[in-house]
Amino acid sequence: MPTKMNALRQGFIRCHDCGYLVKTIAQISSCPRCRSHLHARRPHSIARTTALLLSSFFMYIPANIFPIMTVNQFGTGDTHTIAGGIIELIDGGMLPIGLLVFVASILVPSLKLIGIALLLLIVYFRWPINSRRWTSIYRIIAFIGRWSMLDIFMISILVDLVDFNGVQIIAGPAAIAFSAVVILTMFAAENFDPRLLWDNQ
Amino acid sequence: MNSINFNACPECDLLISIAHPKIGEKHHCPRCNLLLLRPRKRSIERTFALSIAGFILFFPANFLPLVSITLLGNANTGILMSGVIALLTKNMWPVAIVVFLASILFPLIQISLSLLISGHLYFNRPNRYLVNWMRWMHHLDEWVMLEVYMLSIIVACVKLMAISPLTFGWGLYAFIGLIIITTLLISNLDIPFFWQKIERLTQDINHAD
Ligand SMILES: [Zn+2]
Ligand SMILES: [Zn+2]
Repeated sequence: MPTKMNALRQGFIRCHDCGYLVKTIAQISSCPRCRSHLHARRPHSIARTTALLLSSFFMYIPANIFPIMTVNQFGTGDTHTIAGGIIELIDGGMLPIGLLVFVASILVPSLKLIGIALLLLIVYFRWPINSRRWTSIYRIIAFIGRWSMLDIFMISILVDLVDFNGVQIIAGPAAIAFSAVVILTMFAAENFDPRLLWDNQ
Repeated sequence: MNSINFNACPECDLLISIAHPKIGEKHHCPRCNLLLLRPRKRSIERTFALSIAGFILFFPANFLPLVSITLLGNANTGILMSGVIALLTKNMWPVAIVVFLASILFPLIQISLSLLISGHLYFNRPNRYLVNWMRWMHHLDEWVMLEVYMLSIIVACVKLMAISPLTFGWGLYAFIGLIIITTLLISNLDIPFFWQKIERLTQDINHAD
């Protein structure tokens, strides 16, 4: 279906918040139904998504280098990074859990960073793509992001429960950096407007 | 062209004439396949009932013990809030805030908003803030992470069970109930229908002015 089928080309703007359709020639700035600001596309979608994506790339480095968790046992500290924690789980015979944490903490965030970067490049350089396929990829990226919080929630549970005289679990600086990666990539996905994938085709 | 007869797809901007699928049917965007309409039976009544149930369950899920662990003769009990406090006291306040928002505050706000909205619609009470509540609920959706938290509890328990015995508290059962209720709530919430209802109700206020 050609671009001329787009609502914007036909003179309509869809309200982001409630879905109400407004005629462009009416030249009104807020939605008559829900009073939210009207924009044909998400404002500054590419600039904001790029800024958020670059910040998350930047936070991704400390998130993987610094320790995320320290287990103190009778005076000896056992510190590990995200990857180290997964290796420990697998070595300890907990393969399924290790794989789950691997997917949530390593696979999902890195695929998300690459995926959003590709979406931006496609729009920026107007690469000819299969819009339908890339809209599905966008939907997967937007959906899976929240599941990366798995490790962070787990740390909050472990830090709370394992707090005894002699045995303690402490969160490391990577926990802050990793939470920032998850949140920034969620904001990046939210600011990307998938309709841009259809506008230039 | 009259805008009343048309709809636009939120993800590909295709202009579509308004469909009227029957209850139980699904209407997808013909171009990008996004699910556009999925009318529900008695959506307002069900959302209202589920919001009340969710609101009630929220409190035991938050204040009763989730899990207890015994190690070296001492016992520790965890509730939702104690994880946040443990992070706060150990210099991890940015993480504590994130956990607090995603697992406690945002779920509470979401349930309260859906209770307020469906309650007003159920009793046909117009309110000028209805549109704001709907917008907030829409933006809050992806930041409510109860089901992710549940998976974290499972993973943490499997890890801890290797070290020492665990006991599960009533808070955990309430928490599981809360997740089931919020999942049902979201699947019964017919957002386009709610907006139409609100539009009609607010028109009544404007006429009364
Ligand atoms: Zn609107
Ligand atoms: Zn579409």
